[in-house]
Amino acid sequence: MKGLYLRWGVLMMVFAVIGFLAISRYNRDVRTISPRVLLSESPSAEKRLMGMIDAGSLKRGSDGVPFRFSLSSEGVKASVIFLGDDTESLRDLKTIVVVGRWKAEKGVFEAAEIRLTPNYNFVTSAYVFSLIPLILLIFSMERRVALLYVMIKEEKVYQAAV
Amino acid sequence: MVATRFIGWLRRFEKWFGFVAAILIAAGLYTGLVTSSPDYYQGEVVRIMYVHVPFVQTAMLSYFTLFVCSIWYLWKRESVVDNACHAAAGLSLFFTAGGLLTGSIWGKPTWNAWWVWDPRLTSFAILFLTLVGYLMLRTFLEDKEKGATFCAILAIIGFIDLPIIHFSVEWWRSLHQPSSISTRGISIAPDMMVPFTLMGVGVSILFAYMLMVRTQMLYLQHLLEAKQGRLLSEGQFE
Repeated sequence: MKGLYLRWGVLMMVFAVIGFLAISRYNRDVRTISPRVLLSESPSAEKRLMGMIDAGSLKRGSDGVPFRFSLSSEGVKASVIFLGDDTESLRDLKTIVVVGRWKAEKGVFEAAEIRLTPNYNFVTSAYVFSLIPLILLIFSMERRVALLYVMIKEEKVYQAAV
Repeated sequence: MVATRFIGWLRRFEKWFGFVAAILIAAGLYTGLVTSSPDYYQGEVVRIMYVHVPFVQTAMLSYFTLFVCSIWYLWKRESVVDNACHAAAGLSLFFTAGGLLTGSIWGKPTWNAWWVWDPRLTSFAILFLTLVGYLMLRTFLEDKEKGATFCAILAIIGFIDLPIIHFSVEWWRSLHQPSSISTRGISIAPDMMVPFTLMGVGVSILFAYMLMVRTQMLYLQHLLEAKQGRLLSEGQFE
């Protein structure tokens, strides 16, 4: 039985490390911020900003110069200047993720890239609801087999009351 | 004696299957969640593929195992083979339920629906119901030998669903995407192929390991019950 628990302890540690690396990657490459967080924290690093394009806010500058629009979420708006080429994804009332930097002196978010909305909750749910029952099932089966071997070996199948 | 030798063989080799499965699944999870890139159209949601497809493949593999063991049982009538049938059915039900659940979770962001009456999904749900019926039949029939025979016949008849599941995307107009790996070629990016293969092979080997453990569990339970019966018949209560 001790070997069983030791083996599972090592396995759980390995999966914990993989889980930690997956969360780190999510924070590095996927996690978005809302306009509220952008305006309150004024980060200087490159960020992914998610929000809905306000109706009527989508404007093209003169001579096809970059799009300007307003992204809103939780009642807070942030102005965005889009410098990228992929402008087909920009539509009123569409929720998008733009990648760029906050320019505090101009009060705008300069973005060059559009990304898909992450939907990472679905990924987490799928992995949790499939792998956790699997782990529990395997562990319970292994433990049951180990106990059965012990019981049969020691012949503790019945002890008569004296 | 055949049963004892078979159980001894399972006990000797199961740990290798478990070890290899653990390595492959750990590598598959690492590459799937950390190093592989998201899909151009689906984004991060494509990572659900690395659990959904292995679960579905393993559900079908386990039902195929049940089918083969059922034929073997009807031919040889060995109790340890019946234990393997029972074990395979339980595991097949687990993986089928997992495939339906992960598929439903994947369907919501991609099709905007938790469920559609698509040919593949419907035939897979029928497989789930067949397995539920199998286990209910096994549980509720008091005569164990008759129950084992009827269950084996049910499993053999139910096997017709497997080719229907596999070919449903080709025979009918289906919302479900066709196979990414087929005789027509491979329609999956190399970046995604690595975790896809690792998880697919890893979960299949894991099924083999789970089948070995579960067959032992059922055999030992029956052995224990038989011992208890013998002890009672020797007048232990006197």
